[in-house]
Amino acid sequence: MTTTIPSAGSVFIKLLRADMTTLWRNRRASLLVVLVPTVILISWKSIVAWKGGPFVLSNCITVGLTAIGLMGYSNTLARDRDKGIFQRLRVSPAPKWTIMTSRLTVQLFMILITTIVLFIVGDKFDGISLTPMGYAGGLAISIVCGAVYLSLGQVIVGLIKNVETVNVVTRLIYFIFIMVGMFGELGMMGEAMKQAVHWSPYGTVKNIISAAVVPTSWNKDSTMALLATLGYTIVFTVLGVRWFRWNTR
Amino acid sequence: MNNDNHTTPVLQVDSLNVYYGSFQAVRNVSFEVRPGEIFGLLGPNGAGKTSTLSAVEGLLKPQSGNIHVAGYSIREQPLYARANMGVQLQATSFQPELTITEIIQLYAGIYGVDLSKEQVLSILANIKLQDSANKKYGQLSGGQQQRISLVIATIHDPHLVLLDEPTTGLDPQSRRQLWVRIEAMRDKGHGILLTTHSMEEAESVCDRIAIIDHGRIIATDTPQSIIDSNRERPEVIQASRKGKITLEDVFIGLTGTEVRS
Repeated sequence: MTTTIPSAGSVFIKLLRADMTTLWRNRRASLLVVLVPTVILISWKSIVAWKGGPFVLSNCITVGLTAIGLMGYSNTLARDRDKGIFQRLRVSPAPKWTIMTSRLTVQLFMILITTIVLFIVGDKFDGISLTPMGYAGGLAISIVCGAVYLSLGQVIVGLIKNVETVNVVTRLIYFIFIMVGMFGELGMMGEAMKQAVHWSPYGTVKNIISAAVVPTSWNKDSTMALLATLGYTIVFTVLGVRWFRWNTR
Repeated sequence: MNNDNHTTPVLQVDSLNVYYGSFQAVRNVSFEVRPGEIFGLLGPNGAGKTSTLSAVEGLLKPQSGNIHVAGYSIREQPLYARANMGVQLQATSFQPELTITEIIQLYAGIYGVDLSKEQVLSILANIKLQDSANKKYGQLSGGQQQRISLVIATIHDPHLVLLDEPTTGLDPQSRRQLWVRIEAMRDKGHGILLTTHSMEEAESVCDRIAIIDHGRIIATDTPQSIIDSNRERPEVIQASRKGKITLEDVFIGLTGTEVRS
């Protein structure tokens, strides 16, 4: 007799179903992730006339992506590692990639939900309406941009073993990203900081989302920002995979 | 099943060496677990039990040595080897948001076993947890969690079951119940490798034991044979507290009285 093992695809589907159920049962936490950029979007209605709809919308989507990558993804990863959930899965015949890809797929789903909610709120409350290409481009680029924060979250969990410390550090980085990113981009912290923010993961992501929602505005600067974002993603992914440990011992 | 012969070991460990940096945690360890046998791995803290078990589970890569589970090399065919083992880890948990029914269905699926809700309820009834089917794992007591963990470890009817200190933290009733379940698994033909600090457990449950210290196996045999062959040693007699030599006296005599961190 020979041993048969389930296909990687079927294992992935089982894991994804469990991770989606977990996401649904944690819907209050997920709601908070969507709520913060939504509140910013509504409260920035007056800035739409000054800086334009795409500027406001792209800032809010960037804040949402930051929250998903830094607070949602990294914290659940750190908690599950600390509880030994990953170790239990690793001693089963589930290939390692299915465990992590399932987690990432759930976060990509959250990115789509957040972006769609912000599109709807932007349209209903701030009057930011886009072309169908703008909506499609915005959704697609949100997923590309979400990867940079997911990989940054992976780096943090790779560097820090303690689950509480991960929680504190990600909140701190999230806060710094929002404050320095939004106000620095507006020029409220000086020209040097504006330039620094422009080429930071916050600025490049915000820049390409802003261009993607109005495809006709895509220019050389947007392409450079996209390349920078991909560069950040590659670096963070390499470091995150290299430093990540499946257990805290 | 890759082993057609009932006497073929379900676990074969040959010349295993595990290092952490320059520290050698496991030194040339070899042993085997046969079908229908409970094999205990005993040792003080830091003796190399968990490192040995982790290598068998495929959680760490040994520097040298071979490990075969039901004939499959853990190094060359890790998924097949893992499909033939059921594991209850010492520090493990399941997704706290999922109900125990969902957890059982998830792990059954991962092992390629399709279970309907009725089948899950029947499994839960066997371990007297049918009323907790919709409870989340974190809402169960320690004993109930151990029962779920053991059910999941054996849900795919594996050749080898690895139990890492399975009775730690259990009250005497739960511990006795777990022993009965472990013995029932043995009677069904599973080979069981368990680590424990409890000499009482090793003496009561294990068919054979290996005592490991400083990364080396210093004795392997049935509990009674180990007692008999070491009862005359001065250090064992010195360790004896009540005149009658027990496995614990032999263990203390062989591994020393020093408390390990």
